[in-house]
Amino acid sequence: MDLLIQFLTNTGYYLVDFRNIIMLLVGSLFLYLAIAKEYEPLLLLPIGFGVLVGNIPFFKGFGLGIYEPNSVLHYLYFGVTTGVYPSIVFLGLGAMTDFSSLLAMPRLMLLGAAAQMGIYFTLLSALALGFLPREAGSIAIIGGADGPTSIFLTAKLAPHLIGPIAIAAYSYMALIPIIQPPIMRLLTTQKERRIHMPDMREVSRTEKLLFPAAGLLLCCFLAPASIPLLGPFFFGNLMKESGVVDRLAQTARTAIIDTATIFLGFTVGASTQADVFLTPKAVGIFFLGAVAFSIATASGVLFGKIMNLFMKQKINPLLGAAGVSAVPGSAREVHQVGLKSDPTNYLLMHAMACNSSGVIGSAICAGILWSFLV
Amino acid sequence: MYGLEAISAQNGWAMAVAGALIVISGLTVLSLVISQLHKIAAFLEKGVEKRSQKRQAVKTAPKEAVVPKPPAFDTDEAQSRLKPLVAELGESFELTNLYELANSGELPHVHLSIRSLRESGVIVPAGDGRFVWRD
Repeated sequence: MDLLIQFLTNTGYYLVDFRNIIMLLVGSLFLYLAIAKEYEPLLLLPIGFGVLVGNIPFFKGFGLGIYEPNSVLHYLYFGVTTGVYPSIVFLGLGAMTDFSSLLAMPRLMLLGAAAQMGIYFTLLSALALGFLPREAGSIAIIGGADGPTSIFLTAKLAPHLIGPIAIAAYSYMALIPIIQPPIMRLLTTQKERRIHMPDMREVSRTEKLLFPAAGLLLCCFLAPASIPLLGPFFFGNLMKESGVVDRLAQTARTAIIDTATIFLGFTVGASTQADVFLTPKAVGIFFLGAVAFSIATASGVLFGKIMNLFMKQKINPLLGAAGVSAVPGSAREVHQVGLKSDPTNYLLMHAMACNSSGVIGSAICAGILWSFLV
Repeated sequence: MYGLEAISAQNGWAMAVAGALIVISGLTVLSLVISQLHKIAAFLEKGVEKRSQKRQAVKTAPKEAVVPKPPAFDTDEAQSRLKPLVAELGESFELTNLYELANSGELPHVHLSIRSLRESGVIVPAGDGRFVWRD
């Protein structure tokens, strides 16, 4: 009888508390959004399931939980806490990214820079709300709208916040179709949204080959702390563009990035154990994440309008919203909003240029914050 | 500590302004560099094209046929050496017989001598594959 009682007291049914239930509902919501609504399913599905796994109550000390040394989940989580998975994801991203549009229209890179202002505004907001500087830096990077970069920087500065920050970053990336369009419409006129962008020139292979080297040298000399992200990123791109290692490039943009994404999403989800995750700080992080993302979108759009004051050839300010590095979600959204205003206005390629510059910009910001706060 | 006081205490203003300026200046420089990249690319491509054209030219240019110049040849001397042999062969003769006879006499440049005499009209065809000697 004692044995049976002991068994029952070790089951999840006995150990569960309301916080676990809340997190299980959050995990289920993520799964619903991924499967039914197809909102960023590549991210939300592994994270959502990870949330379910991480919130099954268990008896502490069995070596089961993600925060318990020697557990399987703890070993898988190692790639998150050391920043290995984000680097691998960046390698694959580089092997996927086509910089032709950015090379054809380099001035669009400025919109990617402007959208990073959300990061610094959020840094100030987080400090004002009483977060410690390292925590504030980690929260601020959510404004870059780049999940791997957020995880990477948080692992370095405030590892205890990885769960909430990763969940916030990925949630807002998934919620792009809900967050960005109202801001874009609010800050632009119908006339501005109808601005057509000129056709892009053809970019030579030599230019595409030179870019990864030039980008790596310029960005990493400026912010050496961004090497773990931008190094693999530009390396992946060089593999793609060189055309001499197609097999490697193909593996980087498929098997390698997919494997890293699976483990990254799953373990980040599992790291949201209710007792660690559901804290007042997490609520503050979610609030600041929304602010960061909105400010980033707004800064990009406003900077586009400012550029139009000085430039002969006007640019569509909607493109500024794609300056956040949520690839390709925000570019797609800019394209959709442009199409709604004028069904003949195709902004996708130009938006992708801003998007790829946003990836570079947010990685530089991560390097800058790391070097400021370490 | 909260609010503006917390920002100032943690050096937040300086971090935000410096960070924003660094990222904007970094990406501005990068955009300037990549706006000039097509010129560098064109320059490099031109160089590569020139080199490959040169290489192509070297590869495809027909090599001048190296034909050894025939040694300066004295037709009169050949005439004086072969005339006695022709006399042995009779009024009309076959070139192969003349060749064999001259070869067996170990005369120098037999083939060349016969050819030069043919070209200079000393040895002329008589029909039926035979030749006659004309001084």
